[in-house]
Amino acid sequence: MKKWIVSILAVIFVMMALAPAAFAESAPPSNAKKGDFTSVDPATHTAVFQPVDSDQPITLKLADSIKAEDVQLNDRVLVSMSDVNGEQVASEISTMFIGLTLDKLIALLLVGLVGGLLSGFIGSGGAFVLTPSMMALGAPGAVAVASNMCHKFPKAMVGTYKRFKYGQVDVKLGLVMGVSSIVGVELGIRVQEKILDTWGSTGSDLYVSFVFVIILVVVGAIILRDALTGSKTVNADVMPKLALAMQKIKIPPMMNFKKAGVVLSAWVTVPIGFATGLLAATIAVGGFIGVPGMIYVVGASAMVASATELLIAFVMGMWGSVEWALAGLIDIRMTLLILATSLIGVQLGALGTTYVKDHTIKLVMASVMLIVAVSRGVKVPVYLSKLGAIDINTGTADILNALSFWTLIAALAAAGFIIASAMIKGIARAKVEEKEAAIAEGA
Amino acid sequence: MANSTKKKPYLRMTALGILSLVSYYMLLTNQNLVTEYFIKGGIYAALPIITALYFSFVHGTFASDLLSIMGLSAKGSSH
Repeated sequence: MKKWIVSILAVIFVMMALAPAAFAESAPPSNAKKGDFTSVDPATHTAVFQPVDSDQPITLKLADSIKAEDVQLNDRVLVSMSDVNGEQVASEISTMFIGLTLDKLIALLLVGLVGGLLSGFIGSGGAFVLTPSMMALGAPGAVAVASNMCHKFPKAMVGTYKRFKYGQVDVKLGLVMGVSSIVGVELGIRVQEKILDTWGSTGSDLYVSFVFVIILVVVGAIILRDALTGSKTVNADVMPKLALAMQKIKIPPMMNFKKAGVVLSAWVTVPIGFATGLLAATIAVGGFIGVPGMIYVVGASAMVASATELLIAFVMGMWGSVEWALAGLIDIRMTLLILATSLIGVQLGALGTTYVKDHTIKLVMASVMLIVAVSRGVKVPVYLSKLGAIDINTGTADILNALSFWTLIAALAAAGFIIASAMIKGIARAKVEEKEAAIAEGA
Repeated sequence: MANSTKKKPYLRMTALGILSLVSYYMLLTNQNLVTEYFIKGGIYAALPIITALYFSFVHGTFASDLLSIMGLSAKGSSH
């Protein structure tokens, strides 16, 4: 076991050196610059920009979509730049740090709590709702992704520690899956970049949404069906057929995953990890692929799969954070405010798993995946209209965007409700069992 | 759970709770200073990582103690 861990850690470090972007699932933008505008000239539609990492101010042409009077002077901003005919153009300007008013503070604490609860319970949950939430509060996309990433690794670390103590984490499986998925993520990012270059940002959004919705609906439906039939059958721990087929492949080297209770060929495990990474790079939510992959292809229980996913999230989140920190895009205030409640949530979710059966974890996961799929699905017409394929007015687009956001909030609320009620029932049942055991002992 | 004989970590929870509260207070009252240095990149990239780890240990242990004092512990762990 020790030899295994040492060799896998060595592979991780080599991969870190070779593929720094891989861990981040999405890399920091190279065309965004931080700094302040010092003056604006409406006549030429230009502005003087002072980047934080240089002493030389740059004169930027403002894109047509940006009004000169909207440019705030001496306010820390993030500027997306593009090179048009040898001239540097500011295509997007966003204030880097949101003003933390009381309502925003409460919103961050609330989403942090439920995001943490979900993470502790199903192994993933957060990025898909925390990033859009921060953006809805006014943070630029890159800062929202960075701040979420920096909150993800300490949360996953605390969650992994708790669930390891409960004996649910398969360290070897987590490391093998983590390392092999890095290779997949790396390739996935290349595919993404190719799509971005060919179809532009709207085309890329459309492609990501399309893959996202298809994967979430298909995988979510499989898990839901399994959770509903599993809750009725007496023996719910039946190994999925696909996992049984995989275990019949006996090409050496064979890997023994003790906690998951399976022996698999490396020729099966590594491609699963690779495919997981490839898809995760596209939809940016690794857990929605990793956990079902570990359940239905590897053959681990939902309990072990969701716990092991936390370890993978920690490894990936840690390096992702280093990368986003180097790019200087983390808003530590948002990170720490979310952590304030998510560290409570993740531990509550983790201990909650000890009171429920496997099918409850699957039920929560399926519900979240399906509602999140709806949330992304309603945005497809907006992307299509931006591409000019269909025609919808701004009012409809705003309604669809709002609907998408509130569906996400509904996903969180629904998951929080299922977890809380399952836990309360489980704790009450455990108390009754304890009392009965005490009476039996006394008699 | 009710017949738990384990000593509850009241003292540690209180100490870490105060430390966590003071840390959050300092963060929110020094927002400009914090955001100025934490986005510099380079060697300064260590600041957000170390801070996140610091808060996860201090606040995470506080949260763990708080849950156990509230009687919320994993099934079978209180025996």
